[in-house]
Amino acid sequence: MKKKKNSHTYKRYHYIIIAFLSVFSAILMYPLAWTIVTAFKSTADIRKNRTKFFPTEWTLYGFRTAFEKAPVGRWFLNSILITAIITIAIILSSTLIGYVFAKFEFKGKKLLFVIMLATMMVPGQVTMIPRYLMIQKIHLYNTIWGIILPGLVSAFSIYLAKQFIEDVPDSLCEAAKIDGAGSLRIYWSVILPNIRPAIGSIGIFTAMQVWNDYLNPLLMLNDMDKMTLPLGLVIFEGQRSTDLSATMAMATIVMLPMIIIFLLFQKQFVKGMTLSGIK
Amino acid sequence: MKNNRFTAAVLIPGFLFMFIFAVFPVIYGIGISLFDYNPLNIQNTFLGLENYRRLIHDEVFWKAVKNTFFFCIVAVTGNIVITLFLAKIISVIPSEKLRTAFRTILFIPCIAPAVGTSMIWKYGIAATDGGLLNRFLGLFGMAPKNWFLTTMPMMIIIIVYTLWSDIGYNVVLFTAAIEGVPKEFEEAALIDGAGPVTCFLKIKLPLMGRTFAFVSIMTMANYFQMFAQFRVFAASGGKDNSVMVLTNYIYKTSFSSYDMGYASAIAAALFVIVFVVAMIQNRMMRSDWSYE
Repeated sequence: MKKKKNSHTYKRYHYIIIAFLSVFSAILMYPLAWTIVTAFKSTADIRKNRTKFFPTEWTLYGFRTAFEKAPVGRWFLNSILITAIITIAIILSSTLIGYVFAKFEFKGKKLLFVIMLATMMVPGQVTMIPRYLMIQKIHLYNTIWGIILPGLVSAFSIYLAKQFIEDVPDSLCEAAKIDGAGSLRIYWSVILPNIRPAIGSIGIFTAMQVWNDYLNPLLMLNDMDKMTLPLGLVIFEGQRSTDLSATMAMATIVMLPMIIIFLLFQKQFVKGMTLSGIK
Repeated sequence: MKNNRFTAAVLIPGFLFMFIFAVFPVIYGIGISLFDYNPLNIQNTFLGLENYRRLIHDEVFWKAVKNTFFFCIVAVTGNIVITLFLAKIISVIPSEKLRTAFRTILFIPCIAPAVGTSMIWKYGIAATDGGLLNRFLGLFGMAPKNWFLTTMPMMIIIIVYTLWSDIGYNVVLFTAAIEGVPKEFEEAALIDGAGPVTCFLKIKLPLMGRTFAFVSIMTMANYFQMFAQFRVFAASGGKDNSVMVLTNYIYKTSFSSYDMGYASAIAAALFVIVFVVAMIQNRMMRSDWSYE
């Protein structure tokens, strides 16, 4: 009898929590929803009907202006190019270096590892002036390589990769070695296939970070044609701040790809993140 | 295993890269901070510690330090409290599907680039004309206010934005940690007569020690480096520099006024601050959360 009553009160408790979270989620989603509907409004509509959420008339005016007044296609391409190159490079460099730290014995291993971890603590804003000057000196300023080159190695990804590679049983490596496989061969056909989830999460987080990055493109890029989407958005807003519809259309273009990718792969996202947090 | 040739072939280029782009810039930056450095100058004069002396007497610098700390302490505390609360109540929901759905929704703002979402808040929430905040206050008969000309309210708006854009991340991490604590602990405490809140604070939280330490250190380190929203909301630092933070001050000094020597001195100060805070935090976490 007592148990029954207990489960009854528990259920009511759940309903309250679910209701609370639903309202909370709706509030959280409001700014994003507002952006998308505003992108479909005409400027006159925005001015006249301030309190209306949905457009009086759905129009593509904002998107058309965005595409006409800014090289959105180029920005998209630049963003994709930079993100793809850095992500692939980081996956390779961090698994290779992580593999060496996890499976090989050598002098000064501890010290090198600590030095590497220490570089993780340096904020990007501390090194931004020297990085900018260095990139300028080697004539990569205002090219996408000015962003790519400093981004090819990441201490955090190496750390993550090392943690995962340590869990690959040594016996597997030894067996491959007896079969005559060299160190690189073991990396390719034993280590990599065994750390797929780690590769997934390193890839996803690198891609997200690079795609969303604002500081590095701001430092390294100058020409409209060379910019990435987040930087382009800020420049566009600076030029057309009175045209809310076009600015929000641009914001939608910048944000939507990542959100869609996230919704498609959200299971891997959450799994990868939990792994990286627990490890 | 041992293979010195392979080890060297991998580590030498790897560390060369890290040295060039992570270690050397710190040294280079300290070097620049000793000069009156402007990239447009032909000759940059050596100043010694003059830039650091200037730093001590610079009101804007101290304001930026104060604002940075205020922002970090309030936002990190807010973040941890809110995300722990949300993670806990989400973990209570019996339906796996609903739990995933809520976590996914909370995570969506983290996915979008910060410049994009800051801009949305600038125009959709904080705007004088038709912004949600003013419309809401209008319901109580308050006249619309230009928030960008305010001091403390502007900072609060940026903090709330930051929380909005960032809570999903820690909710996911905390949920995983909560689910990782064996149920028996909690059940034992409940039988002993502990309420659900006491039980959570006294049993679960200490058992989640490692995640708690990881999350708070990472969040703190992250928030010291927040930049995009300060640029979008108030690139110039806001009214009376009320939302000027160190990251933006470094950027502004180096790339708007090209006073790179002085900006490097500010950057060195930020480096020292981040380092000291991380050390203190590491100490505190170690002594407090050593259950595992």
